[in-house]
Amino acid sequence: MARSISNGTIRFGVAAVPIKVHSAVEDHGIHFHQVHVKDGARVQQRICSKDGKAVPDKQVVKGYEVRSGEYVILDQEEIDAASGRRSRAIELEEFVRAAEIDPVYYERSYYLGAGKDGRDAYRLLHDALERSERVGIGRWVFHNREYLVAVRSLDHVLALHTMRFSEELIDSGSLDFPAPRRRPGRREIEMASALVDELHARFEPESFADSYRDRVLELIRMKARGEEPDLPEAPEREDAPDLMAALEASLAA
Amino acid sequence: MSVARALWTGSLSFGLVNVPVSLVAATRDVDFHFRQLHRKDGAPIDVQRWCSKEDVEIPYEEITHGYELEDGGQVVGSDLELPAIEPSRTRTIDIEQFVDLADVDPLYFDHPYFLVPAGDDDGSIRAYRLLTEVMGRTDRAALGQFVMRAKEYLAIVRERDGALTLTTMLFADEIRELGGIDRAYQKSHKPTRKQLDARSRCSRSSRAIGIPTRTRTATAPGSSASSTVSARARRSSSPRMASSRTRPRI
Repeated sequence: MARSISNGTIRFGVAAVPIKVHSAVEDHGIHFHQVHVKDGARVQQRICSKDGKAVPDKQVVKGYEVRSGEYVILDQEEIDAASGRRSRAIELEEFVRAAEIDPVYYERSYYLGAGKDGRDAYRLLHDALERSERVGIGRWVFHNREYLVAVRSLDHVLALHTMRFSEELIDSGSLDFPAPRRRPGRREIEMASALVDELHARFEPESFADSYRDRVLELIRMKARGEEPDLPEAPEREDAPDLMAALEASLAA
Repeated sequence: MSVARALWTGSLSFGLVNVPVSLVAATRDVDFHFRQLHRKDGAPIDVQRWCSKEDVEIPYEEITHGYELEDGGQVVGSDLELPAIEPSRTRTIDIEQFVDLADVDPLYFDHPYFLVPAGDDDGSIRAYRLLTEVMGRTDRAALGQFVMRAKEYLAIVRERDGALTLTTMLFADEIRELGGIDRAYQKSHKPTRKQLDARSRCSRSSRAIGIPTRTRTATAPGSSASSTVSARARRSSSPRMASSRTRPRI
């Protein structure tokens, strides 16, 4: 397990649980950067609007526009100081059932380990959450941002999820897509439900793999050797038959 | 209300039923943003595509992906080849199975989007509606994989408020093992029942505090239903979450 990325304390009521925060996620993505097709040179994107020259990272500062075209420069320390709460405590303010939290709220996941001299308190919080089947909801200041977080038991450890604020979520009512002229009929619903049942399985995360990543890496290796890749043809998609016929054919398959 | 911008367009396929769909944003950025300035003269910094070798602005068409090799060399690939590696998943989300939402650990959830009907023919819109209704009735969610912007995603699709929500998920190998976390559990040190009861009382009473409103008004998940929830919780001391197949919306 990688080193912890932060230390802190979970507080609720008068109890304090020292914890260490570890990321629960590792990035396996392939990272590209943008290059100029002609000469393979990196694409530099930050240009000073006054002298038209590229700006090195060290010369970039944060500014806030006070009037049109007029900025105040703020340095990181000032921003840190203004963000107020610098406490490392995660205050648990309420306890809810996990099933009440819609998945769209979950953002990023972390594991919490027991902090120094905090094993008993950690164990108590873990067992209390596990036994009550509750998730603690609170706030956490991390990298100068305040997060809404959920703390729960996961096997023998505690897990922490940062949560989206509801104002960050777009309401489905604003989507404005057309309704069908005719609602799906009873038979269509029955057949579609039968198809859902037929494809119903237990979720097994290991059965899904990112095959694309491996193929991109293979493509990169081939190109590095100067070979030309043999790419698959796009399959022809048949025109969709009518809904009922497609459902019937799916069930018969 | 204008139609949301499509981030991906393709079809959601379910058996032999193909539903043309567009993927649109389900989140908005509410963060506070600063403008980048040049320290020297305080001038705002423009984001431009600028060649680091030639010192000229580059038109969009002349930009491609570069991948840095371990020996410092670089492979340059055109954008067009990347989707061609897996053409079917670039255009289709094939529903491979349906699962119970309650079986999916929150660790797997990544980013939420909406799927909206893309075709304007009545058949496609009705197929969309059919899938939405059927999933809404059963509280089941569909799993499939697709490729967007040169990355493959595992996605879970389900009904939420009359529309289909697609949430990208992490693959199992992107989630770290629990080994090595300081969990400090020695069997003989299990907390006593008395200690646990005291802790549970504390959890329950702190519920009533609610979440204070700060600079960003946050609605904590579950807070809207707080009174009924806590009343239920007090009646049954240990409700089985797994047996509850219904997921109240928040």
